[in-house]
Amino acid sequence: MVEVKIGLEIHCQLTGLSSKLFCPCQCDYRGEVPNTTICPICLGLPGTLPLLNKRAVAFASMISMALGCKVQERITFYRKNYFYPDLPKNFQITQYNAFGITSIGADGKVDLGAKSIGIRRVQLEEDPGRLIYENADVNANFYTLIDYNRAGVALVEIVTEPDFDNPKDVRLFLDKVTSTIEHLGVCDIKLDGSLRCDVNVSLKGGKKVEIKNINSFGDVEKALRYEITRQKTMLIREIEIKSETRHWDDARKVTMQSRTKEEEQDYKYFPEPDIPTIILGDQFISTIKAKMPELPDERKIRFLKDYALSDHVAKVLIDNKELADFFESTVKLYPSSPNEIAHWIISDLLGLVDDSKKEERSLLSGLRIEPKHIAELVKMIDQNKVNRNIAKSVLSQIARTGEMPSCVLDKMNASLIDSESKIAEAIDSIFELEISAVRDAKHNPNAMNFLLGKVMQMTRGRADPKITLNLIKARLARME
Amino acid sequence: MVSKDEIKHLGWLSRLELTNAELDRYVSQIDEIIRYFDKLDTIPLSESEWSYSTKEVSELRDDTNRVFKWGKLQSLKNRKDGFIKGPKMS
Amino acid sequence: MPNHLYHLTANQVTCGIRNGEFSAQEYIFQILERIEKVDNKINAFILVDKQGAIEKARSIDKRLRDGGAVGELAGIAVGIKDNICIKDLKTTCASNILESYIPPYDADVIRRLKENDAIVVGKLNLDEFAMGSTTEFSRYGPTRNPWNLDYVAGGSSGGSAASVAASECAVSLGSDTGGSIRCPSSFCSVVGLKPTYGCVSRSGLISYSNSLEQIGPLGKTVLDVVMVMNAIAGIDENDQTTKPIRPIATRTSEDISTSNISSKYTAGQNKRNITIGLVKELIQGADPAVSKCIYTAVDLFEGLDCKCEETSMKSIQYALASYYTIATAEASSNLARYDNIRYGFDYDPEGYEWNTYFSNVRNNFGDEAKRRIIIGSYVLSAGYYGKYYLKAQKARERIRQEIKSLFERFDVLIGPTMPILPFKIGEKIDDPLKMYQIDIDTVIANLAGIPAISIPIGFSNSFPVGLQIMADYMGEQTLFDVASFFEKIVDVRRSPEI
Repeated sequence: MVEVKIGLEIHCQLTGLSSKLFCPCQCDYRGEVPNTTICPICLGLPGTLPLLNKRAVAFASMISMALGCKVQERITFYRKNYFYPDLPKNFQITQYNAFGITSIGADGKVDLGAKSIGIRRVQLEEDPGRLIYENADVNANFYTLIDYNRAGVALVEIVTEPDFDNPKDVRLFLDKVTSTIEHLGVCDIKLDGSLRCDVNVSLKGGKKVEIKNINSFGDVEKALRYEITRQKTMLIREIEIKSETRHWDDARKVTMQSRTKEEEQDYKYFPEPDIPTIILGDQFISTIKAKMPELPDERKIRFLKDYALSDHVAKVLIDNKELADFFESTVKLYPSSPNEIAHWIISDLLGLVDDSKKEERSLLSGLRIEPKHIAELVKMIDQNKVNRNIAKSVLSQIARTGEMPSCVLDKMNASLIDSESKIAEAIDSIFELEISAVRDAKHNPNAMNFLLGKVMQMTRGRADPKITLNLIKARLARME
Repeated sequence: MVSKDEIKHLGWLSRLELTNAELDRYVSQIDEIIRYFDKLDTIPLSESEWSYSTKEVSELRDDTNRVFKWGKLQSLKNRKDGFIKGPKMS
Repeated sequence: MPNHLYHLTANQVTCGIRNGEFSAQEYIFQILERIEKVDNKINAFILVDKQGAIEKARSIDKRLRDGGAVGELAGIAVGIKDNICIKDLKTTCASNILESYIPPYDADVIRRLKENDAIVVGKLNLDEFAMGSTTEFSRYGPTRNPWNLDYVAGGSSGGSAASVAASECAVSLGSDTGGSIRCPSSFCSVVGLKPTYGCVSRSGLISYSNSLEQIGPLGKTVLDVVMVMNAIAGIDENDQTTKPIRPIATRTSEDISTSNISSKYTAGQNKRNITIGLVKELIQGADPAVSKCIYTAVDLFEGLDCKCEETSMKSIQYALASYYTIATAEASSNLARYDNIRYGFDYDPEGYEWNTYFSNVRNNFGDEAKRRIIIGSYVLSAGYYGKYYLKAQKARERIRQEIKSLFERFDVLIGPTMPILPFKIGEKIDDPLKMYQIDIDTVIANLAGIPAISIPIGFSNSFPVGLQIMADYMGEQTLFDVASFFEKIVDVRRSPEI
């Protein structure tokens, strides 16, 4: 086994804010006309100064606490100096720990069950603007179009220790962190680009290779598998692995050497003189603590205890806050069968979701199913008004129309035949047709099932199978 | 000694393309200045450094958004279809 | 109507206008005429906003005629250093890079001046991005010293000092990063204040070195400087490094928190029993032509209930190296934004690879700006951060600590503002280190974040000499008390022949 070390850098946009990190411009730039949510500050116009957003500090503290970090009493900001056309000031205001820990969070830990992953730091920083190419081939453009609407939007960067040794744990970790961020309500993870992840990989304690530009969390695992294989191949062929930055090619699903010349980078970090040292203080920290919403781990414990769900079922629900919330809303409407409800959600409801939606973690958008539907459906099942097979087709109908289950059932004329006399009539006609099977059924269970199937066929599945089977048995007994 | 290559590299990091004449001049001038700065290194590392002023979180900006009112005159240039036009990336 | 209204002090101007002795328009026309007449010799102005000035004067006159209220600085002609943003008025920093830049907002100080009905007459010359001590590094050419046109006016706020000295405006705003207000004030024989760091908002001041610089007033008298300070000082939500100014001794803190600006500082209090520390290193390092003048003044004060004692400040040996390390480091980063994409001069980026484009346009920085960018990059670069930048911050702390302990013994510290007299234009331009070394007396206050004022103290070989007074953190009132006391005793005010 070749030793693999993976570390992550996750960027989370604080979309839950109203304004940007350092100016009062609207934070939500998506769908806005280019260069309209901008002001002299986020454009870095001469003479402007950064005005740190109070709530951004609170949100970043919440993320730090949720990831088990110690929230620092004093935080400072640094300038990271480099030139790039999407960077209005040609430096980024960020945090930096080389001269003492002053990032908002540090030294955290996320429990993955079998192992735990260290969180090196959690820091606040600003997003750059967006570069747009009229021609999809970057080289074919004579100019670049720049939209600064995104410039200055608050980002929280989460840096892990290189504690992962396989891509699967990375996936588990990302699911958990994503759910945590969702539970905190600081970021709408469904928005494109609101959560981004860079990874670094080294093999056998060798040089670190960074992979950037991985657009979806789903591709993180793929990119890592590709990169590990690539590096292993190089090791076998005894080719030296260089420390480099590679980009994930989304279309071809490979990592590519960055085209830009990787010149020796020297970011010349130094303290941002325009932002004072911010004192968080006990009162601030305890206020944040008191206001912390329920986090995934706590919620899972509660699900196990209150709803007697299995560990697996609870995890699937909670890894996606949308599902967990849907579940709880449903249980509120119909508290009798939480387990039944959970199963309907994670197997049947999720079965209706396209894979692409799963990638976006926007599971229920497009489906017209609401908690009230599942609640009624499960209740009807419990009351034997519908069997599971029919309930499934009812559900797929609801997904399209949004009608209530009872309404769908009426339309399908599919109310379960529970009157024994009607089932008995059907049995009578089958017994007349299938004389040889009736004869065999007395000692052959297969023949009995065959008869049951025939009755179900005749009633188009509407007969309750349990009642039907009992009636067949009784009828056979009478014949003896 | 500050070298010409060093100055050239620092120039590149700051996106200043210096002419040979500039390089020659800057090397001797900057070398002299940096040598003058060397006296700073006699201060022991153990001494504490300047600390910036402090602010309580409560004194920071409230998170409310506001649309900026631009002046009568155009402050931004290189505009194209609402975007800002920049140089090509490769 | 009296002649030569332009010679009046700011206080005389606003009193005259309020009392109906002359109108704001009459005054401003004389000012504009004066600028027209002398500025081709002085070169203090980069831009004169005639129309804006006349409109403002007209509105003040109208309000006074209608019996309406006018602000504390009503009618006073103010010149603004061209690194302070005024909405819809070109701001160049005397650089090719900002040749055609028009800010879309007012600096906080401009907003306050406008609210107080001062009349902004134009933008004043400076060294490019305020980097220099002579105003020679300006793309608009050097500002000349009104006392001798072949000599430098000092810098970087050369335009701010020369314009006041030449009576082209009553008061002006400059910025002081390492002496940029006090140096030209001393060379041109005007009063110039570098306020406590955090006292005046830097919002709209185009940054050279953020942790060191402050905007401050220049005027013909201490009172004028106090009047402007009362308008511009105070906490600003657009600058998170601003602090509430410290209440003055005779008032309670409640008074200060009210927005009435006239309650901040006063001038002319008859301060007695001042303990003065005469900083030995500063005197000893000065040209005898300067130190002689300082000693003469000190002798005068000592006869008048002042206790004057020589003292030593050992950490001064690190001051200049510390200052230039920090200033160039911050500058190298501040000047990175000038890539000519969003604003700047006309130069179409189309067709250029971005690195090439950036390098091409950034070649438009002048010599001194380029030099400081490179020095700043040097002291911040990975191999040298610990040796230079970090040590400079430690030196800075040592200086602050020593100053703090000195203010336990003295009310104020004094010494020459500049170690030398004004020199000929071009004399030092090729020797940057020598040029830097003339800042030795002034950088201390910037490093320590304390207030310092330069007041005219006399003439030597017919060149002005300035006395620098430093007070403790937020000690502006002490500074004003002592400065106006000295001002009365020495009384060297006169006007240069231009």
